[in-house]
Amino acid sequence: MKIKFFDANAYIGTQMLGVYKSAATAAELLEKMDEVEIEKALVYHMAQFDYSPEEGNKMLVETMAGNKRLFGCWTLLPPQTEEVIADNFFAQMKKNRIFALNLFPVHHRFLLNGVVFGEFFKELIKRKIPLVLSMREGGATWEMLYSLLKEFPNLTCILTDLSIWGVDRYTFPLLEKYEKVYLESGVLSLHEGSFEMTVKKFGAKRLVFGTGFPEKYQEASMLHLLHSNISKTDKQKIAAGNMEKLLSEVKL
Amino acid sequence: MRNMSQLAKDIFKYGRVKDCPVYDMHGHMGSHYGIHFPTKSAEKTVKSMQAANVQKLIFSHHGSLMMRDGNSLSLKEARKFPGLLKVYCTINPNFPEVTEKDLAAFDEARDVYVGIKLLAAYHKKPITDDGYKKAWEFANKRKLFALVHTWGDNNMNGPEQIDEVARKYPGCKIFMGHSCHGEWDKAVLLANKYKNVYLELTAVPDERGPMEKFIEKAGSKKILFGTDMPWFSYHNYIGAVLGAVRKEEDLRNIFYLNAKKLLGEIGQL
Repeated sequence: MKIKFFDANAYIGTQMLGVYKSAATAAELLEKMDEVEIEKALVYHMAQFDYSPEEGNKMLVETMAGNKRLFGCWTLLPPQTEEVIADNFFAQMKKNRIFALNLFPVHHRFLLNGVVFGEFFKELIKRKIPLVLSMREGGATWEMLYSLLKEFPNLTCILTDLSIWGVDRYTFPLLEKYEKVYLESGVLSLHEGSFEMTVKKFGAKRLVFGTGFPEKYQEASMLHLLHSNISKTDKQKIAAGNMEKLLSEVKL
Repeated sequence: MRNMSQLAKDIFKYGRVKDCPVYDMHGHMGSHYGIHFPTKSAEKTVKSMQAANVQKLIFSHHGSLMMRDGNSLSLKEARKFPGLLKVYCTINPNFPEVTEKDLAAFDEARDVYVGIKLLAAYHKKPITDDGYKKAWEFANKRKLFALVHTWGDNNMNGPEQIDEVARKYPGCKIFMGHSCHGEWDKAVLLANKYKNVYLELTAVPDERGPMEKFIEKAGSKKILFGTDMPWFSYHNYIGAVLGAVRKEEDLRNIFYLNAKKLLGEIGQL
């Protein structure tokens, strides 16, 4: 059985400081995915982070141009300012193949809690829309995340860009308490033994494959998953199955 | 896998290739204050090595780096697997009496010792400090390895300090651990300027681009593979190298040929 891959963490565009051979367009990203045999990807545009979520979200839709191998991820801002969340938001998501949402509260300067997102997050839970929380600089902090999940324990959260320093001491309590928390495998696969221990303790269903392209090498997390010390069935679940299942449950 | 050499394709397919061993020139062992490491012991480390055909790991135990007088921990673990595990003797300039004792006992541990390890940014004294002088002179005279934790924009173990010690101690084989992370161009300049200075890959594959630069500007013969084991996993790092390096000859240089040559030069192959 050949393992097929669904990358849960890739972006189009480049950072304002530049990134080595990034994919300027969806077409370029697809070419890079073809090169290493990644079938599908959940993607956002770096302009959503660096420049403006409002404009970046539009740029993502434009470059994806409805391609069926790509699944869009828009960036949220507080609903009250109406910069991103406006009337017909979910209908717009459906129309534009947006299946998940991310946010970067530190970089975009807002708080991640029920005062800001209360009703909106209740709607995400109802619609089973995954919230992607990047732990990169400017994304969410662990304190924010712990508070958020205390308020919204049923929110589906995918944690991406986990720290270069191992994060088991942060992630294991979350995985133990909240069954809808998932970890993206990219940086996790960097840490010797943590990936396998996470699978052993919490099951393969709690991990989704990701690369972190264009900042990281796709080949790194791919080779790690292919030769990790877990069953082949678990590998397939992590490589693509879990992500496909999560997105198939989204109600838009 | 388009654009990959047959060797790279085979590593992808089998996870390990018999005629392409891997030599890890930068590792650690044991538990750590800031990180949970599932792979702490020599036994588990060797199991991970075997899965990726890693035939040699040179390490310094976390206990030797983070507390006073901990080199015995490295020696104890390494001797469980003779031939597979070798040791850098950690030099902490804050405890000159320990350095003196460790250097005096160095020859008794030549079955495992291959050189010295400096972690100046953590020990808060630059590698040019007098506290390291005896160790540098010792390693220089005996033409040993010196694995130096290096980082960019840093005045403890940055490019400027490497420039100074490389000039002063030409007998040492100086491995720039993390290759002056961030100041990649300066690391390349040093590797080109000094015959005895090498680029070491730990923490370099975290970012696309620098490895390609090293290959182009310094050449694969000046690059050593390292992982910080158990910080970083073998298959992740090997995968990253396969993503960056296309030619089989370069892959073999990085994975084992350069390391074997250096170990041969100090009689530790």
